Amino acid sequence: MRDTSVYVHFPWCAKKCPYCDFATRKIDVATLPHEAYADALLRELEVRRGALRGRRLTSVFFGGGTPSLWSGAALGRVLAAIRGAFEEESEALEITAESNPNSLTRARAAAFAEAGVGRLSLGVQSLDDARLRFLGRLHDRTEALTALGHAAAAVERVSADLMFGMPGQSADDLAREIDQLLEAGVRHVSAYALTIEPGTQFGELHRLGKLRVAEEEAYAQMFERAERAFEAAGFAHYEVSNYAQPGEEARHNLHYWRGGDYLGLGAAAVGCLSEADGGARRWKNTVDAGRYMEALGEEESETLGPQDRIREGLMLGLRMAEGVDGAALSARAGVDWRRGREAALARRLERGDVVLEGERLRVPRERWLLLDGIVADLF
Amino acid sequence: MAPLPGSCYLPARAPAAPRPEPTMSFPIDRIRNFSIIAHIDHGKSTLADRILDVTGAITQREQKEQLLDRMELEQERGITIKAQGVRLPFVAEDGVEYQLNLIDTPGHVDFSYEVSRSLAACEGALLVVDATQGVEAQTLANVYLALENDLEIIPVFNKIDLPSADVDRVKREVEEVIGLDVPEPILACSGKTGEGVKEVLEEIVKRVPPPRTAPEGKLRALIFDSWYDTYRGAMSMIRVVDGTVRKGDKIKMMSTGAEYEVTELGVYSPFPTHVDHLGPGEVGFFAGSIKSIEDTKVGDTVTLVHDRAEEPLAGFQEVKPMVFCGVFPTDSDQYGDLRDALEKLNLNDAAFFFEPETSDALGFGFRCGFLGLLHMEIIQERLEREYGIDLITTAPSVVYHVFLTDGSMVEVENPSRMPEIGEIDRIEEPYFAVSIHVPSEFVGPVIKLCQERRGEQTNMSYSSTDRVVISYDLPLAEVLFDFFDKLKSATKGYASMDYELKGYRANKLVRLDMLINGEKVDALSAIVHRDNAYHIGRSLAQKLKGIVPRQQYEVAIQAAIGSKIIARETVRALRKDVTAKCYGGDISRKRKLLQKQKEGKRRMKAVGSVDIPQAAFHAILKVDS
Repeated sequence: MRDTSVYVHFPWCAKKCPYCDFATRKIDVATLPHEAYADALLRELEVRRGALRGRRLTSVFFGGGTPSLWSGAALGRVLAAIRGAFEEESEALEITAESNPNSLTRARAAAFAEAGVGRLSLGVQSLDDARLRFLGRLHDRTEALTALGHAAAAVERVSADLMFGMPGQSADDLAREIDQLLEAGVRHVSAYALTIEPGTQFGELHRLGKLRVAEEEAYAQMFERAERAFEAAGFAHYEVSNYAQPGEEARHNLHYWRGGDYLGLGAAAVGCLSEADGGARRWKNTVDAGRYMEALGEEESETLGPQDRIREGLMLGLRMAEGVDGAALSARAGVDWRRGREAALARRLERGDVVLEGERLRVPRERWLLLDGIVADLF
Repeated sequence: MAPLPGSCYLPARAPAAPRPEPTMSFPIDRIRNFSIIAHIDHGKSTLADRILDVTGAITQREQKEQLLDRMELEQERGITIKAQGVRLPFVAEDGVEYQLNLIDTPGHVDFSYEVSRSLAACEGALLVVDATQGVEAQTLANVYLALENDLEIIPVFNKIDLPSADVDRVKREVEEVIGLDVPEPILACSGKTGEGVKEVLEEIVKRVPPPRTAPEGKLRALIFDSWYDTYRGAMSMIRVVDGTVRKGDKIKMMSTGAEYEVTELGVYSPFPTHVDHLGPGEVGFFAGSIKSIEDTKVGDTVTLVHDRAEEPLAGFQEVKPMVFCGVFPTDSDQYGDLRDALEKLNLNDAAFFFEPETSDALGFGFRCGFLGLLHMEIIQERLEREYGIDLITTAPSVVYHVFLTDGSMVEVENPSRMPEIGEIDRIEEPYFAVSIHVPSEFVGPVIKLCQERRGEQTNMSYSSTDRVVISYDLPLAEVLFDFFDKLKSATKGYASMDYELKGYRANKLVRLDMLINGEKVDALSAIVHRDNAYHIGRSLAQKLKGIVPRQQYEVAIQAAIGSKIIARETVRALRKDVTAKCYGGDISRKRKLLQKQKEGKRRMKAVGSVDIPQAAFHAILKVDS
């Protein structure tokens, strides 16, 4: 049985945030096609059922967009169908739904829990009203804390997203926000540096010179300060942007970073399943939600060869404190991951950018801020 | 320079079945040997193709578009590096069959010696001028070479199929700028459509004199091209001046005294055809189990061992490399591959020199010598393209004559090997006499550039009312440092130039060293004039600051003369280089981004713990004087 996770994309938001480059569209919440979208997902699941043979379900993640806009009944229908489509499921099956503080009502949280969701991930982003306005969020600090309360009342595991690296934000500011967030009872935090992506509103403003971003040094200091604050509270820095209390790591995301197979369902969802020959096929569904509901279909598809799989394995695995299991990587790709990388590996080992312990390769945490260059060298 | 075995345009089959040849030599008065002189892009190769068509030498379109350019590189650069001769039977209007030998010439001043030998094999030359453009300096230089060789020059105006062609204007230019009469009929043609090409051939028959020979003279044949064939050894194109060479003859190279037996004799028409002899005036190739093209030097005279000519033909020179640079494999595992590739290239190119070099910064590699910058670029590109070796090359250097206090002289072509200041009495550097042809409006910028480059004006004259020839003596080192690009941009591309070596002169030269994190990087050292050293040092340090990517630690870049630091720049440490989010939907895009980044880093060399890109080693070339 091959462990497989499922990602379900919910492609709508009540408002598009200026920094967001995810596949999502603004919609009048009153017109959301709750059931029609669920129907389309069930049709897709039916089409892909054959590919699920011999696979064990390990996690389901409802992402978006804003899945907390969705009715609990519709989400529940989809979740039940997914679980029914697998021959086996893991004992530690993790089911997460992303939520926005302003749409996660007490009732919605309860309905999701009722449907089987055991983990809620809230897009808090900040606990400072000025920064929330800068980020174009629909909620304020009070609403965020209220929503965290609803979440904690409904499910065991609550995670929050936090952004840093806003212009004018200091490391002290960030540390204060982290402390407040932890007081609200979250067990997991994804702390992201604000990234200006082309094609977003921020991207456009930045291109025109109208948006200031934090200096590289300020980013670095915030990153390091965040780590200290979390560690002081007993949270482990287990991935570049993720912190968790022991055992509270996002199993769905760990599965991505460990190179696991995942099925994507829904408009713009991406899936990647291993094939028998050591390669894998990755595809992206039709992005337009209307067209998706009408006819399903894939937007693009690529075949990953052994070297692509090794590169991805390194790129993802080295983001984690645990690093990459080299033996597993070689086995997955069908070739020795070290071949052709001897010189770069030796160079990076010598510089202390990577550490090799038995078969396990990892980047020490003090080098995480420079991870991309290190990984690119090993490509 | 000659094609690689196998890259020749000629079909890779064995020479065609020998065709019966008359035992008598072809009547000398019906032989016409000519070459084509043209500026790059003026359509030489296309015209040559058309001539082959018109004479019926090519019956099928099995050949590449540009038949006379054998190598891919040459085609890309639009220049012919290779000299070669093709025999073309041509029945003229008078009903008589003539033997035309078209001798192609290299089109760049780096190869001017080879050009001069190719021209020496001819009695006439077509001067092909693009009727939409005009006369260029390069053309002029070759016209003068042709005049020195007493060639009959026939101006031909090409590209008349283009609407912008203006034959009258360009004809005036030929008369005014070159000072050449353009007699009737005016030859205007299109290599593209073939229009006027037949008329050009008729004029060759009428105006190019037949070869002159000493009656009953002893064999003297001029080698005007050599190349290496894997199966047959060194092969040569020859023009027989006196006497006759036969298959089986014992021959002698007059410059070296080496003796061989002619095992193979033939002509290209354009496919190789065996013949059993070549008589006076004829052009063809021979092989003789000769191991190296060192033994078949261009310009040498071939004679018979047992019936030796008294005097060799005039004009032979040993060619010497003028420009040197270090060539290192990016990946030290490729050192052996690089050596093999250099050896192979050297088989075909006696003008190219190499010897092992060790650099503290770049490891094991080779010091290579070239005829000029173009020659250097060609070799470097071939190493990368044909042999698949990623190279790091150092900035080109000239050969300095360093006179030591003990009275001896050493030749130094590697700045890092310059003796210590205390041991040096004086340093002499090579000078070029440079002629720059330019429309009069650009005289100011050209003079400014030449002055900045330590030039000394020797002459300036108007070749026509609005065209000027500016002559300067310039240190060759200054010409290597981005002079062409600067000249082009200063004159909006209108300048053309020609140059030749003009001896050595003593100057106040010093070695400028660059230090990275306190350590001297030998491959970055340069010889510069003392008066400019501070400026160049500062400017180079700034340039390097922009080139050396930020690393985990601060990197100090310093310029020094001797032990004195004259400039310092700091590359700030890289603080953040990490993607914030990477989940299922982002993976492909992120992987491709990193892959691109890796590509960009391929040409970096780790010097200590600092990654230095190839561009750093050439930064000195981009420093403004």
